[in-house]
Formats: sequence, structure tokens, C-alpha cells
Amino acid sequence: MQSPVYYALVNPNLSILMNMCFIFQRITIPEIMKDEWFKKNYKPPVFYEKEDADLDDVQALFKDSEEYRVTEKKEEQQPTAMNAFELISMSRGLKLDNLFDVEQGFKRETRFTSKCPANEIISKIVKAAKPLGFDIHKKNYKMRLENVKAGRKGNLNVATEIFQVAPSLHMVEVRKAKGDTLEFHMFCKNLSSSLEDVVWKTEEDMQETK
Amino acid sequence: MSECIDGLRHLFSSILKCCDLEESRGPVDPELLARETVFSVSEIEALYELFKKISSAVIDDGLINKEEFQLALFKTNKKESLFADRVFDLFDTKHNGILGFEEFARALSVFHPNAPIDEKIEFSFQLYDLKQQGFIERQEVKQMVVATLAESGMNLSDDVIENIIDKTFEEADTKHDGKIDKEEWRNLVLRHPSLLKNMTLQYLKDITTTFPSFVFHSQVDDT
Repeated sequence: MQSPVYYALVNPNLSILMNMCFIFQRITIPEIMKDEWFKKNYKPPVFYEKEDADLDDVQALFKDSEEYRVTEKKEEQQPTAMNAFELISMSRGLKLDNLFDVEQGFKRETRFTSKCPANEIISKIVKAAKPLGFDIHKKNYKMRLENVKAGRKGNLNVATEIFQVAPSLHMVEVRKAKGDTLEFHMFCKNLSSSLEDVVWKTEEDMQETK
Repeated sequence: MSECIDGLRHLFSSILKCCDLEESRGPVDPELLARETVFSVSEIEALYELFKKISSAVIDDGLINKEEFQLALFKTNKKESLFADRVFDLFDTKHNGILGFEEFARALSVFHPNAPIDEKIEFSFQLYDLKQQGFIERQEVKQMVVATLAESGMNLSDDVIENIIDKTFEEADTKHDGKIDKEEWRNLVLRHPSLLKNMTLQYLKDITTTFPSFVFHSQVDDT
């Protein structure tokens, strides 16, 4: 069987690969990835994970096989009291990400305040996230929600943390740890509609007041 | 042949430097900036595309004034912010109220994920040292907390605010002199790395794909 004329113009290694794709057999993607021609100068895509140092203890949870489900353990500690500088660093004027204007409003994190007790906030988030297909990993007042199904950029991982601003006021931070930002945006929308009775002020409310 | 082109380039940039009145408008010497910052030459060129976008928003003069900076940050120039002002002042190392590209690039270098943490610690300290006295006073912290709360529409009583600041100083002010000096700030931040999260912009790592630059004379071969 003669190869088509255009094959002569192409790299011989590529033409062998193409033959395998189209003529002799259906080559699979993993097999293509092993081919020499494909591997030349190939850099596999890396999906950046934005990890903060304070998620380290939550990371340790993944290795702890006991805490796959949310347990009814009595939490002794209070949520982290908000350090003045942590509060200050939430100011929009310090978020230079906005200079890049890349994702047209799809933020990678959001926050809301709540007057409910911290434990109630946690259980409401868990109740809202589980039916959306998320696995929950919890440690004190930090949670890691992982979507069981893989999305556009791997499994969506969301980190939440509750801070105590004042005895009866909590700030909840919801942050994308891994995955597609648009999926995170959709998740937040679903979450906020389930959490209507918990949320006191959302970020939008907070931006509107001058 | 390439030496000839290099020679011409250096000659050209020297001439430009002579004609340059006060501010460097463009990447007159991207290689110099790349050597003195954490950016590669192609990142400098991509950064310049961003700079052009921001600096032409109100007055197209190749410089970023306060209004254009606010516009870029808040998408509205009507927003006054204590923090945006501080950031702008720190970027404006020549203290002439406008940002040239060199100031812009050098300042943003500190925010690169690869920048040394000491630079980030130093920058954040200066940011919060509102009166620039070399230490962060309790009064300055209160001013910043109040400004942040006002911005987010949260109303907290003075008692609650004082309480938050008390707890912060208890932890940070190890010398018990009512102020936080550089060393105390450094120790605090090393214990709470999340305090520096605003000092790293992941976007800077992807900048060459977000702002592609089609400057053909650039040295693409950067390692």
C-alpha cells in the first residue's frame, strides 16, 4: 500500500504515527503519549494549585483515613480569632490581582459574614455541599470540599474557613483551591442560594456600601 | 551580524535615555530590568503590554497617574482607598505622583511568586507603616482596621475593634513597647504566612500568555 503523497512532506516519525492512527489500528491517547515524536518537547499541562500555608493541616487530613466523613466530634476550640492584619488584608485596595482583569469577574475567592454560631455555619455548608456531589474534609473550622467528579481542570476543590471577627459575628471565606474557576463560580452561586438564612452580608452587599 | 544588531540596539537605547526627560515610558532596556528584577525578558515585555493598557485609560501619556491606578484596581475612579494610596506611594519610588514603567515593573517584581520572601516582608511592613516612622503603631493599625470595616460595610463597636487590636498586639508586640518594629513584623508573618497572601500574585506567572507581546527584537531565549 502506497502512502499518500503528502506524507513525503512530513517528518518521517510523524508519518509513522499517523499511519498508526488512521490506517493500521486505532491508536489510543495513552499510546500516542508514549510515542517518540509526541514526547519531543512535550510539557504536560500543570494545573496551578493555589495553596496557602494554613491549609497544611487540612492536607494532612487526606492521609488520615479516619476522617472521610464529617464526624459528630465535639469541637473544643473556637474558630480562629481574626488578627487585625488578617482583617486588613481583606481590603480590596490590597488585592492587586484586579490589575490583571483576566477572568472578567470570576473570582477565585469570596466571603460572607454571618451572625450564626460557627457550628451552625459549618453544618449548613455541609448540608448544601453534599447534594452537589462534594466530599467533605473537616478540621476545626476549616473545611475542604472536593467534587467527586472531575471537571474541566481536574476535581474542583474548595477550601472554606471561618474566622471570628466578634463574639457574635463570623467571617466565612470560600476559596478555590484547585480546579476550574467557572465551576467554582457556579458552586458559589448554588451554595449562596442554600445558605440564605445563614448569610448576613455577602461580598456584593459589602462592596455596595460606600 | 548579531553583534552588529546588539551594538545598534545599545546605541539606540542610549539615545533614547538621553531624550528621556523624567520617566522611562517604555521598556527602554528590558534586559536591564530583567536582570534587576525577578522577571524574564519576555515577562517584562508582557508586563509592558499590561502597563500600556492601564496607563492609557485616562490620559494616553505612557504613565500611570493615581486615577488610572484606581481605575485599574477598582474598575471605577470614584473610589478613594487608604490602601490603594499606600500601594501607589510605594510603587512611586521617584515620588512625583506618577508611575513610569520601570517603577511599575520593579514594584510588581516583589509580588512574583518567585520573589524572595524578605522583599515581601519588607514591602508589607512599609505598606502598613502609614506614617513611615519605621514602626507600625497601634493607632495606625486601628486606622487601617476602621478603613477596612468601613469599606465592607461592617459596623463593629469600638470595644470590639479595640479587642481585636489588643489580641493582635499581644501576639505581635513581643517587646511590649506599643509598636511593631520590623523584627516583630517579620516574626509575626513567619508564624502566620497567610498575612502575606496579598503579596503574591499568581497571575504574574502566567503573564506571558495573558499579555502576549509581539516585539520581534526580544531575546526569546531566556532560561
